[in-house]
Amino acid sequence: MGNVIKKLVVGLIVGAVLLGITKALEFPTVFQWMFFAYALLGTAVFIILDLPSLKPVSGVKAVGALVIFYIVLCVVYIAGASLWPQYDPEDEKGKIEKILKPKRAATEQGKAEELIARAKALDEQAKALAARIKALGGDQAPAAQAAGGPGSPPSTTGAGSGDLLKIGEDQWQLQECYNCHKLRGEGGKKRGPELDNIGNLLTVDDIKQKILDPKSWMAEGFEKEYEKGKMPDKYKDLMEETDVVALATWLVTFKNTSVNTPKPIKKK
Amino acid sequence: MKTWHRGLLALCALLALFGGAAFAQAPGAPPVEFPYTGNRTAVWIVAQLHILFAAFILGAPIFVVISEWLGYRKQDPRYDRLAKEVMKVTVILYSMTALTGGLFIFVLLATYPQFTTWLINHFFLVFAVIYPLLFIGETILLYMYFYSWDAWKGDKKARHIALGVVLNLIGTITLFVIDGPTSFMNTPVKAEGVSPTEFLMTATLWDKIYNYSWMPMNLHRLVGNVTFGGFITGLVAAYMYMAAKKDDERAYYDWMGFVGNLIGVGALLFLPFMGYLLAYELCDYDASICPYMMADQLSMFFEMQGAMVGLIFLASNYYIWLSMKRIEGVERVRMTIFAPIVMVALPFVMTWGWTMFPVPDPRSLAILIPLALLPVVLGRFIPLTVSARTVIKVGFLMVVVGDAIWLTPHGFVPTGAKLVADLELPSDWNFLALMPAKNSAAFTLVFVTVVNYIIYNRAISQGTIVWGKIDFTSQFVLVFLAFSAIWTMGLMGAVRSLLRKYFHTYNLLPDFTPESFTPTLSYSAWWITAITVAFYVVVSFAIFVTLRPTEAKAHAPEGSPAPAGAK
Repeated sequence: MGNVIKKLVVGLIVGAVLLGITKALEFPTVFQWMFFAYALLGTAVFIILDLPSLKPVSGVKAVGALVIFYIVLCVVYIAGASLWPQYDPEDEKGKIEKILKPKRAATEQGKAEELIARAKALDEQAKALAARIKALGGDQAPAAQAAGGPGSPPSTTGAGSGDLLKIGEDQWQLQECYNCHKLRGEGGKKRGPELDNIGNLLTVDDIKQKILDPKSWMAEGFEKEYEKGKMPDKYKDLMEETDVVALATWLVTFKNTSVNTPKPIKKK
Repeated sequence: MKTWHRGLLALCALLALFGGAAFAQAPGAPPVEFPYTGNRTAVWIVAQLHILFAAFILGAPIFVVISEWLGYRKQDPRYDRLAKEVMKVTVILYSMTALTGGLFIFVLLATYPQFTTWLINHFFLVFAVIYPLLFIGETILLYMYFYSWDAWKGDKKARHIALGVVLNLIGTITLFVIDGPTSFMNTPVKAEGVSPTEFLMTATLWDKIYNYSWMPMNLHRLVGNVTFGGFITGLVAAYMYMAAKKDDERAYYDWMGFVGNLIGVGALLFLPFMGYLLAYELCDYDASICPYMMADQLSMFFEMQGAMVGLIFLASNYYIWLSMKRIEGVERVRMTIFAPIVMVALPFVMTWGWTMFPVPDPRSLAILIPLALLPVVLGRFIPLTVSARTVIKVGFLMVVVGDAIWLTPHGFVPTGAKLVADLELPSDWNFLALMPAKNSAAFTLVFVTVVNYIIYNRAISQGTIVWGKIDFTSQFVLVFLAFSAIWTMGLMGAVRSLLRKYFHTYNLLPDFTPESFTPTLSYSAWWITAITVAFYVVVSFAIFVTLRPTEAKAHAPEGSPAPAGAK
């Protein structure tokens, strides 16, 4: 027992020292306690090393001991995994829905689903109209329809320039471009060039070409990444033409000369 | 093997082969909706169970045949008995592999009929001809190998061992073949300047099989299967040790546990590097996989992996420690002082070295190899030594340090997008979260374990090992190692599958179902634990029915077990 207490004291001292050092080095609190936990792990290991031998058990006692051991393992592993920060799938669901919507619509099943949805909507509209005719009288119905009542089809006019920029920004988020490119001081892990001044260096067509064919342009200083093909050659399959144009249009609005966006070199 | 058992196996094989095809022909069959779990988790459960059984039946025969050969060569009946007992469990689990395989195909067809048909069409020759033929061949060879055990002994032993080698050859080819479609789903064929969709139109079957991650996955699974088989052998030994009534039985199962752990740990040493190779190829295939895996949605899965690998290395070294305690004369064993010095220096020097020359730069080995060999070279000229106990304790300290480095994340956030200063490592210390540090931590764990086994071997040669007298705690360590290895396999299997993101086949075939999102680590842990427990229940039952009833009569012709005190 004395040995255990001695090791515990040493472990706590080591933990306190680590806590102090990490605090002095301005580590965030969570990391300070993480290093303290490492010290406790080490203490536990060294205490276990010198524990007295376990008395053998057999029969029902052994089975009972095993079952308890398994329950402890299950609880520890589930609890351990649950203690780490958890990713919220809701963050992803909306994005996936937006990315896959046009692809689903292009499939036979998607077309059939769309037709069914339209038929259902028309059916609802017809029912609503019939109810109004019944309530108001048959002679007023055509006037209501001509005036664009609640049953009129939605507008199908194209997106304005504001909408286009919004779609472009959405695409930046959906395709997770921020994983490799820094923009507005956010994202990027130096895998790709910072893009805050890209609007002064490339046109919409140039950016579109780069997205669809990553080998078409190379950023100065990113020769190694270019050679290794770090920028995925997949967006021509993943993105709709209009989305690529929207993303390029949005990117070209970034003309912050105070940021050193590397010079693009045309390769194709 | 009972008749009903063989019948069940044949039925499963037939159902898997023809039933799936029949289902796929049914026009307009709507996908089923699994209650409670949902379709994706239902597939996950069945697929993971199938892979666990398959991993054992492919991994175990590799060391079974080696054990049989060792028994033949050393004329030590313990090796032959170990091999035969593991084969008994393997044969019963073979049926479970077929059963879960058949179930896997049915569940897949019922839940994702369009995707399954699409995949079968692309690999028709594999699914309809090559794989079934290999499976049938392996079944025949496995039963021949098992049932000819007693008939082909003495002069015919070499013939039996050769049969085992052929069985392993077929097993390995089967693994490599089925890895084709599996790896294809992660990294479908592509060529520079041509989209995967376009390239797939002209790709041959070989192009589809020989994709980016195929060979890394083959190697990773091959080594993983041996590790897994070794730890399950340890589990068998632990159960039997606990159930043993006689000293000679305890001596034998103590020895068997040691061998199982040795095989498991021996293969485990290569596993981090095989995993690294697979991850490297995946990142090379598509750079966006890397942040998804290491910095974003799956980053905490890798934290959990770090914790599990750390625990497995701690436990396997603890087993060596407990094994050492029952060796008489172990206090005389000493080792060069440079071994613990290198242990301490390794994570720090290699973090620096691999930051300067990142893997796979050949210069990355220029620092590692001399450093790792330093104790051997300097130990010859400078006779400064320390006790084995001191070396092992320093080793434990460095395993904890290695675990700490492996576990330290860049930030305590589930994705990089949510990173704020209060949860992020200071920039000066960011190197702790980068690959050079993680690789050096992995290498430290491997180095310490190798040194501990060298010490153990010296202790055996200089002292006297008393089999059957090991600390009873060691049996729980063996159980822990098997459980943790299976759990980690489940975790990393989930990671590999999730890397396809919202695609059935990455970038080619989208998954339009509402379940195509990344689940939380907590949710995954619940299911991984449930699958592990289900697998454990079946394996425990298999051990009970195959080994317990034959205990009294089966051992007489195989020679007497190792007496306590024998080396």
